[in-house]
Amino acid sequence: MRNGTRTTLAIAGCCIVALAACSTKDPNASGNGSGGQSDVKAGAGVTDDAITVGMLTDLSGPFAAGAAVQVAETKAYYAQVNKDGGVCDRQVKVDVQDHGYDPQKAVTLYRSMAPNVLALQQVLGGPTSAAVLPLAQADHLYLGGFGWAGNSLKYDNAQIPGTTYSVEAANAIDYLVDELGVKKGDKVGVVYFTGDYGNDSLAGAEYAAEKRGLKIVPQEITPKDTDMSAQASALKKAGASAVILAAAPPQLASLAGVLASQKVNVPVIGHAPTFNPALLDSPAGPALLKNYYAFTSTAPYSSDEPGVKKAVDLYEAAAPKGAKGFEVPLAYAQAELLTDAMKGACEAGNLTPEGVVEAMRKTSDLDLDGLLTTSLDYTDPSQPPTRTVFVSRADADTPGGLKLGETFEGPSGKGYTFK
Amino acid sequence: MTYFLTQLANGLSYGLILGLIAVGFVIVFTSTGVLNFAHGSVLLSGAYLVASLQGPIGFWAAAAVGVVGAAVLGVLINALLVRNLAEANPGTAAILMLGVDIVLLTELTRRIGNNVLSIGAPWGADVVSVGGITLPTSRVVAAGLAIVVFGLLWFLFARTGAGIAMRAAAADSDTAAMMGVRPSRTGAAGWALAGALAAVAGIFLASFPAPGVAPTLALSSFAAIPAWVLGGFDSVVGAIVSGLIIGVVTALAVGYEAELHFLGRGLGEVVPYAVMILVLLVRPSGLFGRKEAVRV
Repeated sequence: MRNGTRTTLAIAGCCIVALAACSTKDPNASGNGSGGQSDVKAGAGVTDDAITVGMLTDLSGPFAAGAAVQVAETKAYYAQVNKDGGVCDRQVKVDVQDHGYDPQKAVTLYRSMAPNVLALQQVLGGPTSAAVLPLAQADHLYLGGFGWAGNSLKYDNAQIPGTTYSVEAANAIDYLVDELGVKKGDKVGVVYFTGDYGNDSLAGAEYAAEKRGLKIVPQEITPKDTDMSAQASALKKAGASAVILAAAPPQLASLAGVLASQKVNVPVIGHAPTFNPALLDSPAGPALLKNYYAFTSTAPYSSDEPGVKKAVDLYEAAAPKGAKGFEVPLAYAQAELLTDAMKGACEAGNLTPEGVVEAMRKTSDLDLDGLLTTSLDYTDPSQPPTRTVFVSRADADTPGGLKLGETFEGPSGKGYTFK
Repeated sequence: MTYFLTQLANGLSYGLILGLIAVGFVIVFTSTGVLNFAHGSVLLSGAYLVASLQGPIGFWAAAAVGVVGAAVLGVLINALLVRNLAEANPGTAAILMLGVDIVLLTELTRRIGNNVLSIGAPWGADVVSVGGITLPTSRVVAAGLAIVVFGLLWFLFARTGAGIAMRAAAADSDTAAMMGVRPSRTGAAGWALAGALAAVAGIFLASFPAPGVAPTLALSSFAAIPAWVLGGFDSVVGAIVSGLIIGVVTALAVGYEAELHFLGRGLGEVVPYAVMILVLLVRPSGLFGRKEAVRV
C-alpha cells in the first residue's frame, strides 16, 4: 500500500514540473461591432466614438514585473493619443487581461476578447503567444507585442517590433569578428533557453558561425538554472572567445560573474530580455561593466533619440518610481506601430480587424524616431522589417544601465534565411 | 583532471545545498505526511527577508531574521492550513500546498518586481583556488555549513528527547501519541526545521555564482525533488546522499555535454530525473526509503 502511494507520489513529483499544453480548437470568426456613422467601415471593437484594443499579458506570473511596465507605458501612450484627438476621431480604450503565463488561459481569454477588440496590442510570452498566434491569424486579427522570435514570421497578422533573435545573434557573430577581434576557427558559446527564444538565437548564431568560420559551443538551459558554474567551466575548457546568452537576467549575472572569477574575460552578448539594470549592483556588476554587450531591436532606455525621449518622459510622468528598462521604449514602439496601422485602416475607410492587418502590411517606410534602428518595411510577412540592431554596453551611471554605442548590420545578419 | 575536479567540487557543493532543501521535504513529510510543494516559496520568503533587511540591519542579523521568519512561516502554514484539513489525506494536502505556493509566489513576485535583490553576503563574488580548482567562496561556506547542519540534525534526532519524539511520531503517530508524544508539537517542529533549512539553502542559492533574490529562486527547490524522491521520501540520510548524487551527476552532465552530445542537448535538465527513474526501477522505495513489511 505504502509502496503504491510512493510510486504515485513519485509520478506526482515529476508532473509538477511539467507545463501546460495548448488548445487546438477551431477558431471563432470575429464578430461585428456596431457600424460607425461616418464613411469608415467599422469592425469588431469599434463604435462611433471609441476603439478598443486588447492586451493579453502576464500580471501574476513570472514576467509580471516587466509586463506591468509595458501596461503602464501603453496606457500612458493612448491617454496621450486620446488627449490629442484619438485615432480616426475615436478614443482608444485598452482592455488588459491577465493570462498569468498560462497558454490555456491565454486561449480562453483570447476567445472572449477577440470579438470585442480591433487589434491585440500585446500577447506577452513565448508559449502564450505561440498558442494565440494561429487563432488570431485565422480571425485576421492584428497581433503585436509578442517578443522577437523568428517563428512569428509565419503569421501575416503578426507585427514584430524590430528584427528577430536569430538576426540579432547573427549580427553579434559578425560584430565579434569585425569589431572585437574574434578570429577564424575561434569558438563562441551560446547559452540558451530551450524554446522559441533561445532556439531562434542559436539558429542565427550557427548560421553566422558557419559563414564566418567560427565554431559554436551550445549549452542548453532552462529558466530554473540560475547557477551557471558548470556551463562557465565547460565554456572555459572549450576555450570560447565569446558567449552569446539567450536567457534571463539571473543567468546573465551568474555566467558573467563566474567567467570573470575564472579570469575568462571575453565578450558576453545578450538580447533585450537578458539584461536588467539591477544586476549592476549585484556581485556580478564589475564583470558586466567590463564584458557585457546588448544586441537589441529596440533602443535602450537611455538613448537620446527623440522617439525614446518621448517614451521615457511619458513613462516617468506616469510612473515616477517605476523600473527603468527596455520595456519602456519597447511598449511605446509597439503602441506607435499599432496606432500607425489603425490610422492606415482609417484612411483606407476600413476600420476593421482585417483592415488593420492590411494597413500594417502596406507599411513600407515607417520611421519611429530612433525607437527602432532603421525605417521599417512590413510588406513581406516572411521577412523582418529591418535587420539592423542596436549595440549597447553596460554602464552604471546610465538610467536603465545600458549605454547606446552604435547601430550595426553585418553580412550574416543581412543574409540569414528563415526556414 | 583539474577540469574534472572543478566540476566535481561544483557538483558536491551544489549537492549539499540541494540536500538542505531535500531534507526539508523529508522532515515535513515524515512529521505531518504532507508533500510540501510550497517549499520553494518558503525558501524564497526566507531569502527575500534576508535581501530586504541586510541593508538596514546588516547581513548576519538579516540572515537570522530570514531563517527564523521562514521557520515561523512553515509553522503558520501547518497550524492554519494543514492541521485544519477535514481529511488528512496526502493528495488533498499536496493540492493545498500548490495553492499556498501560488499565493506566496504571487505576492513575492509583486514585491520583488523585476529586480534582482542582492543578498549582501560578506563573501560577495570571491573565489577560492586550491591546486587549480576554483570554487566560489559562497559554495565553500555553504558546503561547510551544510555539513555542520547535517551533524546537528543527527544529534537532534539521535540524542535529544524532542528529536526522538519526532522520529517516533514519524514511525507510528498513533502509538507515539499513546506514549505521550504530542503530534501537534512534532508537526510544528518539523515545519519549523524545514523552513529554517530552506532559508539557509535560499541564502546560498541567491549568493554568487547566482545573481541574488529573484522570483525564479523558488523554482530552484524543484531541483531538489528528484533528490527527495531518490532518497526514499522519508529518509534524511537518503535526502543528503541523493542531493550529492544529483548535484554531482548534473554538474558532470553539463560539464561533459560536448563529449556526450550523442545523448542530445540540455542533458543537465534530464539527468536528475533519469537517475531517479533508474534507481526507482531497481529500488522502488528509493535508496534509503523504509520497506514496508509485507504480510501474507
